[in-house]
Amino acid sequence: MIEAIAEAASCFFDASKVSRQKKDALFELAARIGVLAADTRSSDKAIEKAAAIERRKALKAGLEILATGADPEAFDRAFAQSKHRDADGDPGSELEWLLVRAGLRGIADDEHYSIVMRRMTAFLGAEYYDKAEEWLSDRAKRRRAKGESLVFPGELPDVIRILAMDKRNLERVLRAAGHEISAAALAGCPQESMDLVRPLYGKIGAAALEDDAARMRVRLSSDEIEQAQTAFLEVLRNLDERGELHLGPEDELVADPAYVAAITKAILSLDQTIIKGAFRQAEGALVATAMQGMEPEAHDHILGALSKKETKRILDAIDEADPLPKRAVQGAGMRLAERLFEAAAAAKAPKAVLEHLAAVRDWGS
Amino acid sequence: MIQWNADLARRLQCREEEKKGLGPIIKRLMGLDRKARGEGFLSLDSELPSIDDPLLVIGVRLVMEGVSGEALEEILATYLLVEEKTGWPFLKACVTIEGILALSESDDPALMARKLLPYFGADKALAALEELEKDEAASQPEKER
Repeated sequence: MIEAIAEAASCFFDASKVSRQKKDALFELAARIGVLAADTRSSDKAIEKAAAIERRKALKAGLEILATGADPEAFDRAFAQSKHRDADGDPGSELEWLLVRAGLRGIADDEHYSIVMRRMTAFLGAEYYDKAEEWLSDRAKRRRAKGESLVFPGELPDVIRILAMDKRNLERVLRAAGHEISAAALAGCPQESMDLVRPLYGKIGAAALEDDAARMRVRLSSDEIEQAQTAFLEVLRNLDERGELHLGPEDELVADPAYVAAITKAILSLDQTIIKGAFRQAEGALVATAMQGMEPEAHDHILGALSKKETKRILDAIDEADPLPKRAVQGAGMRLAERLFEAAAAAKAPKAVLEHLAAVRDWGS
Repeated sequence: MIQWNADLARRLQCREEEKKGLGPIIKRLMGLDRKARGEGFLSLDSELPSIDDPLLVIGVRLVMEGVSGEALEEILATYLLVEEKTGWPFLKACVTIEGILALSESDDPALMARKLLPYFGADKALAALEELEKDEAASQPEKER
């Protein structure tokens, strides 16, 4: 049984008892609350101001509770108590109370105005869906594009670019991750990632995702955004493991065994002095990504050559690295091999070592 | 999560004959799921004119819009709660909502079926699954041809 139905089963309410005129008035009330939901995101004082001038009893009571900074649960409890002040058994008043509670609870939960509006107008029945759609489309058209982006170090933008090569893949991951995780993960991506995602949703949904990503950039810490990106990549990996993604051979998450063998062989052939010199210069993210495509003995060979401080730096980068598609892992390995080749050539390493490195550097060409 | 209470159990009660109507509903939901997975969620727009259940139309439109998770569940539940449905219409609406939630999560159609079949009742679910799988197998060669 659907949890929401089970939880709310005691609230069955026959909205057909409420007149069309009352429902039209409640739609206008919902629209006012919808505007307020949008305004609260840009102004801390929006709720207080609205409470001060509001004349409808239920809404005024709810706004006053919200103005105290109540979280959704605290809001629900306090609003339920305030209900008894107005309870008169009139179905119209009851419906208004339910609608206001749903809308203000959504605001307390910092939901996007489109969700707040959908929640409220659902109480008016299916015949108000189109009216709400029209209202939301109009707002989505009038919204200003943010165009801001806060990029966290990480591979998600590359992954999104790869997934977008077949839109079904990107859409499958976004849908399976859900709105919250997707918006939080996109909060740490450049605008280019959002541009790839936007066409996969309708106008209203795209506006909601973009607004929420912009909102999360402000509200979430960098750790929280990174966690969301890791969760997003975890969803991707699970879908891939279940064979749910249509990835080309270059986009698979498991590296080509021949490539793994080649880079492992090249690393093991290297003198530890060369490793020490080359890895000191290399960025942690590049090394961590390249190491995803190596056998464990290559990891040991690399880490055994480094100082404690360098080892810690690389291990930290590995801890932070997300599982990446084959294409990204092999690309990082090829760039690393190029640097190692230069270091090995400068150190006059044996020909066989240079050949092993060149094989990785030129992989697939 | 399965959550039952006495009121819901009463509301869901309907005749066995009526429950047979769940089969086509589940197949329809699986068809929508298959289309969304194959052609993208926005492709469901072309299916809307042929759907006569307002709750399913709203659910599909919300999913296309990208509404998901708890918000989707609660919005759809609200549409159900403001109508005094009992018996078969209530059961049908519950299955539709559960199917829409599975659709929004891009579930594999077979997984969706397994989420919906318990609504037939514990004793009938297995037989319904067998029948569904038989139908699916029968329609497969046709599609390939």
